Amino acid sequence: MSVLETPRIFLKGEMSWDPITTNNYDTNYDEDTDKPIFPKAADKVKAFRTQAINQVVPAGNWNPHGTHRVASYDAGVSAVDLGAGVVKNDPFVAAAIQFTGMLVDLEPFGATSSQIYFDGMTFGIDGGYRILAPRTSRFTARYINFARNTVNKMIAGVASAVWQTSFAKSDGLRVDAFDSPALQALAKALAGADVLGLTVRLNVYRTIYYDNPALRNGSPATKQAGEALVAKLQGGGFQPNPARSHLVGVIGLWRKGEPAHEPGDRALCPAGQSPLGSAYARLDAKALTLDLSNSVSEVTEDLKKQDLGPLTVVAVDPATQARTPLGTFKYGDYDRAAYEASAGIVTLPLAAGAAKAAGDKDLQLRDASGTVLLAEQAVRAIPETPNLYLDEGESKTATFQVYERGSPKAAALPVTLYKMSPDGSKVANTLPMKTDPNGVLSVPVVGTTGAVFPYVPVLANGDPPPAGGIDTQANTYMYVRILPADGDIGLMPPTWDNVYANVLANWNALAPCMDNWLMLDDPAQVKQYAAVLKRLTDPARFESFRFMPVTRDMTKGERTLLYNYLDAPAEALAAAAAAKPAPLSRNLAALSRAMRRPPPGA
Amino acid sequence: MIRLQLKPLTSLKDAQAQLQTAIGVEFGTLPPYLYALYSIKPGTNAEAAQRIKSVVLQEMIHMCLACNILNALGGAPKLQPQSYPGPLPGDIGPNGTPLTLHLYAFSSDAMAQAMAIEQPEKVPDFPVVHAEAALAAQAKAVTIGEFYAALDAFLAKLPASDWHKGRNQIVDDQFFAGQVFAVNGYPDARQAIHDIVSEGEGAKDDPLDFQHDIAHFYRFGEIFHGKVLTKADNPLHYSWGPAKFPVDWAGAYPAITDPGLHDFSHEPPAAQAAQKACDAAYAALVDALQAAVTGHDGTLGQAVRAMFDLRIAALHAFTVPLADPARVAGPAFRYKHS
Repeated sequence: MSVLETPRIFLKGEMSWDPITTNNYDTNYDEDTDKPIFPKAADKVKAFRTQAINQVVPAGNWNPHGTHRVASYDAGVSAVDLGAGVVKNDPFVAAAIQFTGMLVDLEPFGATSSQIYFDGMTFGIDGGYRILAPRTSRFTARYINFARNTVNKMIAGVASAVWQTSFAKSDGLRVDAFDSPALQALAKALAGADVLGLTVRLNVYRTIYYDNPALRNGSPATKQAGEALVAKLQGGGFQPNPARSHLVGVIGLWRKGEPAHEPGDRALCPAGQSPLGSAYARLDAKALTLDLSNSVSEVTEDLKKQDLGPLTVVAVDPATQARTPLGTFKYGDYDRAAYEASAGIVTLPLAAGAAKAAGDKDLQLRDASGTVLLAEQAVRAIPETPNLYLDEGESKTATFQVYERGSPKAAALPVTLYKMSPDGSKVANTLPMKTDPNGVLSVPVVGTTGAVFPYVPVLANGDPPPAGGIDTQANTYMYVRILPADGDIGLMPPTWDNVYANVLANWNALAPCMDNWLMLDDPAQVKQYAAVLKRLTDPARFESFRFMPVTRDMTKGERTLLYNYLDAPAEALAAAAAAKPAPLSRNLAALSRAMRRPPPGA
Repeated sequence: MIRLQLKPLTSLKDAQAQLQTAIGVEFGTLPPYLYALYSIKPGTNAEAAQRIKSVVLQEMIHMCLACNILNALGGAPKLQPQSYPGPLPGDIGPNGTPLTLHLYAFSSDAMAQAMAIEQPEKVPDFPVVHAEAALAAQAKAVTIGEFYAALDAFLAKLPASDWHKGRNQIVDDQFFAGQVFAVNGYPDARQAIHDIVSEGEGAKDDPLDFQHDIAHFYRFGEIFHGKVLTKADNPLHYSWGPAKFPVDWAGAYPAITDPGLHDFSHEPPAAQAAQKACDAAYAALVDALQAAVTGHDGTLGQAVRAMFDLRIAALHAFTVPLADPARVAGPAFRYKHS
């Protein structure tokens, strides 16, 4: 399925990441109440900002002045494959990727719920060879490989991730092919009735911080870099400190039934103490295509790939355990040069009839000694919405589609749904459920109170329960964030004092970068930009690149109070300011929980 | 059309002076482009605004790269605010008459002027291959690309000892990922000059720059013509259109041209205050940039903040009516502290 078909377009380049990191700490932010935890100070915003800067060196808060902005650079089309191998002589090769988005973690304290909000992606330029791809859905990160680059022990530098999204033809996807054979082939394939559009799958790896690949956690050089950043931050101005990653990627067809946001191909997951990360496979009549983009570790600073010798894909009969070799490839097929040339995708020719014979077998990847490195997880359930937001008081139905060996499974199947702790480390609740006859599991999600948690579905005849927490290499999962209602805040008189203290101060504290665009503590500016603020915070624009707050954590009550303020004429504001404050009837349980997390040094 | 005065290059000092001129040219293009950009009303001309903004950012990058070269050669970049209307530093024009740059609101006049600034030399009347011969002759009038080519030819001959590694360099660790880099020797300088010329003028006989995007002249051309520059099956390989580039000239504030010439003493206090705020914001920006290009740590971040402050001041100024309520005035780009 998917990008493992041809035609496909290969990508290579760099990505810059500029998230605000201050909300990554439970001492700074409460992800249930969606509020910063302010220090006790007369000017709580100033104290919070100072505290964030003071955390740079001792706590590793590496980007208090981040913007959440993500951008590709030095990135473009590196090669194409029309079915006869990887070539670079298509005129579309070297076309640049134009991509800017906003990196937001649904669960701010962890690394397993990252997503990028954006408006569109362009490969090439208007008037020339181009794929113009307006957004259908946000990019989602899955299959975080925490053992990808263990040499690069610096913050998340050890990890890689699969980032995927898909672009529907119906959303304005356009291919300007001119005389490019690759784009002509892609445009022709897109016309297929069962083709929904295009999928873009990226692998992002070797992330560096402070623009220095030599830094390591806890090293004197890292401390020095942190101190230099603090000096900049204390010197004033706008002082972002973006991280940088390498990326490889692929553009291919998105067919009906395929998940938009993560690989729906046959999944090969690490077996035992395998050094590999998960891989995805597709069998065609003539070829086996293996996506190793997230699999083989870099073992040196110059990104040499681990040499595991020749690797063989075998098909194993689940009943008899009889093994049929499908193909073998050598180190030169998955070393660094090969990886960068074809985004980690390895294609092996198949003997006639081999694909059909392997259709109901389990795939394995073995080394020359016969050790199983990757084993197929034949049946799994993939969420339709990988990261789900809802408000307190709201109900939504989340769905998971069961796949068997890369295809939707149309059968009523028992599924155990595990509701996990917010960080995904423990099972909080076990829910025995069943899919409908189409293999669709429907899960009612009710927003009872502000909370963050993941669901992990496990097929009854599939893998073991996630007792040790989410295994990002094996488990599929859906993260849920419920924003508290904050009804009491919505009922407050719309005075400047109320709106600032209960709404704007939160983001003024967490996002100093806002000073570049709007002084959130300036009532005149806030009023002047009322129309813009309402447009940018409109829930209907939730998926938009410019949605505010970028972190998607403004509650309904906060929005109500803000809009009441923005909409009120000046005389009404004066009257509200003169009125007695409304009695506060906050959610006491939530307040109680917040008080259990004292600010640092308290 | 810009024609820069190319003086004979015989010493390091000559090269430093020429780089200072280049810095002045890059810096001097910013106010006219920003005036046009900020005068676009919210909700209109999104594509055009994006085109202009992309050029502004690249001009900032070019200025940083030119400063890096000058710093690497032991020089001291000086950001000299210019007056508008007025010529770019070093411009002597094709016929002895320099191009007078005006501050125009977003309009066909503004785009025509921008094209004139960025216009490449299609007829190689002063081709690069003749640049060294020009060195021994008297001063000549050359395009920006030829100006840089002559500089490149001279820099190639400098001994390694003239280059100072790591001196006051601006890099991309905070801003402009992948686009600003340290100049530590001639190869870096050559790359920087290549990038500057390529993005400004494109390759010879090709409107695309080294990043396979269209060069500045053609970006402005798309807005001016209201047509997308499109690959075409003709001898020139491109045509303007047929696809339209969306432009709404009416989507600009009714701003006066060249506010620096306007007497604001009879304008409403709000308009005077808006001008004063713009002047102060621009002066703060120049000061912060000056510190940044002369090696003061952290000041690039202060300059970027100042840039945002200038933007906010400018956007406000474009909404404040003058005594003639049908007119407004944007920033005059006066270096004037409040």
